[in-house]
Amino acid sequence: MKVIVDLALCQDHGQCAIAAPEVFRINDEGHLEFDGTPEEAMREYVEEAADVCPVQAILIEG
Amino acid sequence: MSTLTSALVPPSLDVADPAFSITSAEVHAAREQSWYATTPYGIAVLRYDEMSRLLKHPKLRQGSVAWPAHNGVTEGPFARWWASWILNKEGAEHHRLRRLMNPAFSPKLIGGLVPRFQALAAELIDGFAEPDRCEFVSEFAEPYAARVIAIMLGLPEGEWPVIARESTTIGLAMGVTFREDLPRIEAALANLYDYCDALIADRRAHPRDDFVSALVNASRPEDGRLDETELRDAMVLLVFGGFDTTRNQLGLAVQTFSEHLDQWDLLAARPDLGGKAVEEVMRVNPTVRWVTREVLEDLEFEGVTLAAGTTVHLYSESAGTDPRVFAPGFDIEAERKPHFGFGGGAHHCLGHFVARSDMSEALPLLARRLRDIRLLPGASWLPDSGNTGPVRLPVAFTPAP
Repeated sequence: MKVIVDLALCQDHGQCAIAAPEVFRINDEGHLEFDGTPEEAMREYVEEAADVCPVQAILIEG
Repeated sequence: MSTLTSALVPPSLDVADPAFSITSAEVHAAREQSWYATTPYGIAVLRYDEMSRLLKHPKLRQGSVAWPAHNGVTEGPFARWWASWILNKEGAEHHRLRRLMNPAFSPKLIGGLVPRFQALAAELIDGFAEPDRCEFVSEFAEPYAARVIAIMLGLPEGEWPVIARESTTIGLAMGVTFREDLPRIEAALANLYDYCDALIADRRAHPRDDFVSALVNASRPEDGRLDETELRDAMVLLVFGGFDTTRNQLGLAVQTFSEHLDQWDLLAARPDLGGKAVEEVMRVNPTVRWVTREVLEDLEFEGVTLAAGTTVHLYSESAGTDPRVFAPGFDIEAERKPHFGFGGGAHHCLGHFVARSDMSEALPLLARRLRDIRLLPGASWLPDSGNTGPVRLPVAFTPAP
C-alpha cells in the first residue's frame, strides 16, 4: 500500500493523525508528516484517514 | 518617536458594543493596520495567514468550554451536556470520540442522501405561499435545515418543527438571558434526549444502513464504543450544531447572491458549480463569524506574547476577504484558498460534508427556480458577531420552472 498526500491541498488540520496516528502525525511546527508505505495491517485506518480528510487530500494506491 | 510607538500599538475593537459589526469597514481598516486587534474579551485575529496558524496551534484549545460557568451555570443537565460536547474536549478524550463519530459523517454515507436533498428543496419551493415572493427563512431555510437533520437521523420529516423549536430554545443558552432561560433550555434538552434515546434503542434492535446505526455500531479496538450517554449527547449536539448553522448559512447565501445576480444566473445555468458556490459564499459571508480559542500556556506569536488564559477570537470573514490572499470580488468560478467557515484543526466541523452536500444541492435549484432575486423590506437579523444570519428575509423573484 502506498499513501500519497497532495501537499498543495493539505491544510494541516490533522484529522488523519487522529484517525491513524501510526501513519500520520502533526509535528511540533504544526505540519503533517506521514509514512508513505505503511504496513497492510494499517489499511482500515488509513482508509478512514483518507475518508475524514476535510480537503480530501489523501490518496491510497495499491 | 511617539509616531513609531503608536504604530506598534494594535487597533482596538469594541466588540461588546451592540452596534459593533464584525464585517464593518472598521474591522477591515484594523486588518490593514495589524494582524490582530485588542477587544474587551482578549484579541481578535484579522488576517488569513495568522488565523490559519492559530486555528491549528497546539498551544490553543477550543474556547467555549467555560461559557456556562461564566454565566453561573455549573451543574444540572445543561452544564453536563455542554461539558460532554466533543467540541469542548481536548487530547486523547477528544480523539477517541472523533474516531468513533467520524465514520457516520463520512462522504460515502452522505452521498446516498443527495436525491433526498434535491427532492426536499424542490418540494419546499413548490410549496411557497406566493408565486413570486417568499419569506426565505420560514419558507425555505428553516424547514430545509431541520428536515435534513430529520433525514440524517431517520426521523419522520413531518416532525421537523420539533427539531427547529427545541434547537432554537437551546440556542438561548448563547445569549445574555441564559440564566433566566435555563428551565426552558433544559426542558428542550430533555425532549431531544427522549427522541434520541428512542432512536438509539430502535437501531440497536433493528440496525439499518444509516447514520444512527453507524454511530451506534462504531467501534475500534483501542477506543471501545460510544456508550448510551455519549450517543445521546452526540446526537443532540448534531441537532443543535447542524440546524441553525445551515439555516443561517442559506439565508446569508441568498443575501450575497442578491448582490451578485450575474453569479446567480451562472449558478442556475451551471448546477455543477453548487459546491464552489457554497465555498465562495462561506468565504465572504460565513455564519460562524468568529471561532474561539483559549491560550493554554504563554506563547510568542508574531512578536506578541499571548498569555495563558487569553481568549482569541479568529474572524472568519476578515480572514476570508484578506487582500493579502484573495483577489477582490465574488466569483463562484475562481480558484481560491480554503475559507475558515468550518473552523479548522482538531475541531474542524464534524458535519461539514453534510452541510456542503445539502447546500450545494439547494443553491443551484434555488437559482434556477427563483430568478432575479431581490431582498424586500422587513428583514431582521441576528447581531453581526458570533453566529449570524437572517431571522426574517423577505425575497421577491421571477418564478421559473
